[in-house]
Amino acid sequence: MSSGIIRATMLEQNRWIMTRHWFAPAVKKACLVIALGLISAAGQGSHCQVATVSAGSWEQPAASLADQVSGILGPGQARLTIRNLSTISGDNVPTIRRILEQDLKAHGVLTGDQESANTIRVTLSENMRERLWVAEILEGNETRVVMVPAGIPIAPAHTTAGAVVLNRKTLWRSSDQRQQNQNWAGEQVLSAVESNGSLHLLTDRRLVSYVSADSTWREQWSLALGAHQPLPRDPQGALTLSDDGRTVTAYAPGVECERTIVAASDSIPGTDSGNHAGQCKSSDDPWSVANGALRAKAFHSVNHNFFTGVITPSTGLELPAFYSAALLPRPLGGSALLINGIDGTVEIIENGAMKPVAGARDWGSDFAVLQTGCGAGTQIVASNSGEGQADSLRAYELPAQEALAASAPLGMNGSVMALSASPDGKSILTVVRLPAEPGRGNEYEVDRVTALCN
Amino acid sequence: MLRRFAISFFLVLVTVSAPGRTRPHYGGTLHVGIEGDPWARPDGLAWRLVLDGLTTVDTGGAVQPSLAIDWKTENNAHRWQFHLRPGVQFQDGTPVTSVAVVESLSASCRAKCPWSEMRALGSAVVFLSDAPMPQLPAVLAGNAFLISRALNTGTSGTSGPIGTGAFQVSGFVNGVLSLTANTNCWRGRPFVDTIEIRVHRPVQDQWMDLSLGRADVVEVPAEQLRQAQQQRMQVVESPTALLLLLHVADEGALANPNMRAAIALAIDRTALSNVIFQKAGQVTASLLPQSLSGYAFLFPAERDLNKAHDLRGGLTPPAITLAADGNRAIQLVAQRIALNLREGGFNVQVTAPNAVHPNLSLHEVPIQNGNPSAVLEVMLENLGHSAAPADDGAASLYKSEREFLDAKTWIPLLDLPRAYAISSRVRDFQNGADGLPDLANASIIGPGEEAAR
Repeated sequence: MSSGIIRATMLEQNRWIMTRHWFAPAVKKACLVIALGLISAAGQGSHCQVATVSAGSWEQPAASLADQVSGILGPGQARLTIRNLSTISGDNVPTIRRILEQDLKAHGVLTGDQESANTIRVTLSENMRERLWVAEILEGNETRVVMVPAGIPIAPAHTTAGAVVLNRKTLWRSSDQRQQNQNWAGEQVLSAVESNGSLHLLTDRRLVSYVSADSTWREQWSLALGAHQPLPRDPQGALTLSDDGRTVTAYAPGVECERTIVAASDSIPGTDSGNHAGQCKSSDDPWSVANGALRAKAFHSVNHNFFTGVITPSTGLELPAFYSAALLPRPLGGSALLINGIDGTVEIIENGAMKPVAGARDWGSDFAVLQTGCGAGTQIVASNSGEGQADSLRAYELPAQEALAASAPLGMNGSVMALSASPDGKSILTVVRLPAEPGRGNEYEVDRVTALCN
Repeated sequence: MLRRFAISFFLVLVTVSAPGRTRPHYGGTLHVGIEGDPWARPDGLAWRLVLDGLTTVDTGGAVQPSLAIDWKTENNAHRWQFHLRPGVQFQDGTPVTSVAVVESLSASCRAKCPWSEMRALGSAVVFLSDAPMPQLPAVLAGNAFLISRALNTGTSGTSGPIGTGAFQVSGFVNGVLSLTANTNCWRGRPFVDTIEIRVHRPVQDQWMDLSLGRADVVEVPAEQLRQAQQQRMQVVESPTALLLLLHVADEGALANPNMRAAIALAIDRTALSNVIFQKAGQVTASLLPQSLSGYAFLFPAERDLNKAHDLRGGLTPPAITLAADGNRAIQLVAQRIALNLREGGFNVQVTAPNAVHPNLSLHEVPIQNGNPSAVLEVMLENLGHSAAPADDGAASLYKSEREFLDAKTWIPLLDLPRAYAISSRVRDFQNGADGLPDLANASIIGPGEEAAR
């Protein structure tokens, strides 16, 4: 264990600076497992992941480039220059140079001679998709060019906490699915729900279920939404589990899907075999928006991104169109329905009356209720704008008609697109759209947000 | 570690609560000003609002399904089959069938098509070619291959093409092209009800419209980006979206490749970028920008007057003409190039854009983000060169580009962005893969958001 700690520390400090000598494949694998374990506990995982992937990625392109250069130059002396036009930190260039020199030497090309007539001019470059290492081989008046791709860095993640402490843990990333060659093709994630070690996602194309296997999510089954009414832009979605946890129901505008949840051992990866009961159908039936005593359902507009305001069972009130709704236990007993109107006003419906909520002007369109046992026992978690392009989440209490902040903001990695409480109300799954990086479309992640009493 | 955590914690504590992401609102009219023609080829603003292609390219450059839901290739990319999305209708209610797609593509591509044969096969469209077409899905995402039911369009007519896009043409009155939301759009209804595009509006007038609340989206040419920023306009700038090139006619005195190479070496691109474009443009001597290729630095863009003189070999060619269109910045570029070339020993006259057979001419070519190989193929085709890169690899692209540019008939000068200034009531404004505004996903802020501001 102590060895693991030392190596994790070295990884943390050196990140990209690793030589193949101590980073033999077996050690590399062991370190990755140990370091990821440590990091998972500390909530700082991706630094080691970046370092490991990147260090490995220096060796392969260096070997390939040296191979191509030596194929042109043949054994002999040459002058090696390296310039860095990429986002690789300048601290790493000496390491890359060392690896390249060793690889060239293995091919009989010695690079120590500054007076040599031959020059190998290496440029560490990159485009939107990948790093590109280019070698210009200058022999007399002739210049020849070879180039090799050299991988892509992985962005680090971070977590933060505040006063009534919200925590988040990233469960799933679309980029991981892509890297693991899972069946993922730029879908929009609309909602997420967990059940018995599985993660179910509703995307704009399908209902898909993952099972945790070897620290990754393996696709268990998926159910295509099919060709129904086109989804609106900015589509909303919802997932609910049946009381016995055996069925998941997905709602998207104009579509409803129902799928029996089966044990992981029964599944066939990446397929939806006929053994498993599941189907999607065109539907304008109301969506479940609140479970518990009220069990409210609301009609969603088929062409828009909001609920129409018609709720079943009826509240006896004419409700405005709204983006989200949640059932909120009240301090004096009973429950109230909270809705976030499309005009930006949050309203609370209780005792046959609808009243505006003060202090909610800076909330985003989505919120969910979290049963924390802290303070009033229940908090509303709503999104706010965070730093840069990223939103934050914050817990609020609603003792009367004014929302009072109950936690510091919890920074997220991008825009909060959907919040949904778990069946037991003790956690919230958050769908986050990550800022688009040059050369890539939008990626998503699903975070589990929980709270600790302060 | 502790220090980093402390800093993060502090940053979180000092974060001021601001409105979170609210969902976009429906309704309203978006007022847009443009200097050119919305139906200009190849990159007029209206095309992609009204029409869709079989495929599309997302902002990350990846090819995505559009009217085709999937596609497959056989026989080493000599045959492609695109399956159409079921249930899609043109804006006049007629269904999008494979026959309609074939008719549309036949009408829009009469010559030099990437395919040699095309036919409808059930709900699919099949493309065949004697040469492999590895980039066909990406190529079909281009504006040249958008699918329409009627192509008889004109700037001043009230009718326009009928497509499947988010908006349909509803009129053209007093220089304003009106587009209304296509409620049945297969991608979902757009958020705004109407877009009104005021065409042929000079940029300064557009800016005035914006300041007076009469426009929501106006153009900011690259050469005026700095000015717009100084005026604190809210500017959204795309990555490189246009390539400015000089065409050198391979005839007369310039049939000599050394003369053309001398011209390339005599041009001071840095001065063009710094002086005329206020550093908004990026100096380049390659077709693909560095961000797409990763190897653009291999094409030196520095001026070398001595080498230009050497290549000219003491010869003074007869007077040559340089044509430039009416755009003021391009006129300035032409004048500065003429000055550079005179310093290089050439006698250059700047002429009107409609001059017959100019020796030199300035051109702007759109660069769509996407697969570099497909982007290069489209660019080469736009420049009259049909040889596609052999494969997707960077080395192969470099080889194709090097071979093309070594002829010195096309001299890349500057990579330029597209930019737009927007009013404070516009939200979710983004540029598409071609740098043009993606107005179908823009919306006008709702009453709640206005109050929060």
